[in-house]
Amino acid sequence: MIGFGSSLAVFVDAPLLVDAFGRFFQPDTLARLLVEGLGKAAIYFIIAVGLTLVFGLMGVLNFAHGAFAMLGAYIGGVLLVVGISSTTGSGVRILLFIAVAAVIFALLTAFGSALEVGLVRPIYDRTPMYQILLTFGVGLILEETARILTSARGIQPEPTWTAAASTIPAVLDARYSILGANIRGFYLFAIAAGALVAVAVWAFLTRTLYGLYIRAGSEDAEMVEALGIDVRKAFTIVFGLGTGLAAVGGVFLIWDPTYGPSVLLNIDVLLYAFVVVVIGGLGSFKGTLAAAVIVGVTDSLTTWLFNTGIVPFPGLSEVTIFLLLVITLVIRPQGLYGIEEVGGH
Amino acid sequence: MSLLELTDVHTYYGESHILQGVDLAVEESEIVALIGRNGVGKTTTLRSILQLTPPREGTVRFKGEDVTGDSTHDVAGRGIGWVPEERRMFGYLTVEENVRVAVPPEADFEAEREYVFDLFPDLERFREKEARNLSGGQQQMLAIARGMVGNNDLLLVDEPSEGLAPLIVEQVVDALREASAETTLVLVEQNFPLAMDLADRFYLLDHGTVVESGATDGVTADDDRIRRYLSA
Repeated sequence: MIGFGSSLAVFVDAPLLVDAFGRFFQPDTLARLLVEGLGKAAIYFIIAVGLTLVFGLMGVLNFAHGAFAMLGAYIGGVLLVVGISSTTGSGVRILLFIAVAAVIFALLTAFGSALEVGLVRPIYDRTPMYQILLTFGVGLILEETARILTSARGIQPEPTWTAAASTIPAVLDARYSILGANIRGFYLFAIAAGALVAVAVWAFLTRTLYGLYIRAGSEDAEMVEALGIDVRKAFTIVFGLGTGLAAVGGVFLIWDPTYGPSVLLNIDVLLYAFVVVVIGGLGSFKGTLAAAVIVGVTDSLTTWLFNTGIVPFPGLSEVTIFLLLVITLVIRPQGLYGIEEVGGH
Repeated sequence: MSLLELTDVHTYYGESHILQGVDLAVEESEIVALIGRNGVGKTTTLRSILQLTPPREGTVRFKGEDVTGDSTHDVAGRGIGWVPEERRMFGYLTVEENVRVAVPPEADFEAEREYVFDLFPDLERFREKEARNLSGGQQQMLAIARGMVGNNDLLLVDEPSEGLAPLIVEQVVDALREASAETTLVLVEQNFPLAMDLADRFYLLDHGTVVESGATDGVTADDDRIRRYLSA
């Protein structure tokens, strides 16, 4: 790492820059960054899709969404640490991980549904500020509870709980040479999981009656209610599913080399999820998928560019993501696939 | 027993007192028009019936049962369809999906779909098209079709001719006549001659109350009791 003075030199040292970008544009580097970016995108999508469905249908900006991912990471971490020993093979670890993700999904879907009925439902008729304050408060309570419990159990709440992160099987931690690119197995696993979740959510929205009600309700919830459908039930289901999916995303973050279980996930994940949802267009499934890919790949490229010493400004990676958000809001405020005016909210 | 009965209904938007004691009754198989100037409470009356804007005082009875304060989906599920002002299509759903949303889960969707597609062949032609891409007239047809499925006993229709070309209005009127063969209609309509032509009876609203009512036979806009309430 070089200091600010010499960093400045990087910008004026034309040959060095040319060399840096030459390395950047090498096919194997680009291919690796692209696949890693898609891996990140898969996790961002799993987390953000619930946030966008909740906003689309209910008009609720859920600031507790990041905390649900954090809960998934911690509860999943506990289950993995308990279930995996140093002798557990890679196959069993992966199977256990899938089982844990399924259990967390069921648990957190139930938790989210209860939260919607008990806390969110009574304030639908109030201004959005009430929903923001309520969900932000819930997020903070969950974060502080996690901090207290992990500290009490001798687990460092931040930057990451390494015991859980290290349950990753060797096959996913290893790098593989694919088409000349050196790719970590975990990202391929995440891409497969993200694709599976995307297909499952898409099938739910387009192939089931409830999915149809949810899509209709995202456009005009009052009209759906006037057609004889209990929209509140759909609200509960969507809030529950959104919570469950965020938690499953959190389970994936346990093995993600850039994250791992940490109370910091609450805010980190929330910010990224909001960026994805806003760029994609609030309430849009397609938009969330496209934006997750854009944010994931941009994150991967800029992290490499700004963290590997070529242009040494580690913070610029996050800045670039937020710059994308700002550009989207200026050029296309409704996002990539957002509806300009959402009725019924 | 009337199919629909409103007794001394008072409805507010915030502190604005919109309906100030509306009384009306609708009998089975008739077409009743609610007329009056803009802002006198016609749409609010429909919203009060469906409990979208629940009355603070008074009662709404449907098929003899008091539905005041019930949830909207429950009231609608008892057999009330709604064709709202400005149609309120689900623009990103296809024509067929718009119809599907309106058909109760326990009903036979295939049969209901065939029923409305027979009535409105244009809708069948555009069944896979997103509703936002339909013309205004086609959207109105879809809105009416959506209100007609599910064996509703009462259809509340709000400003069906608004913003449509005269030729399309004729088609909409035909569609409403078709609908009236199956169900009772309550019609809010600014176009006075059209309302009088379609309806059997009328209620004239002013300042949130019913000021005149009766059969539509022979009633014209020149009628003194009507003119003073309809002129600007």
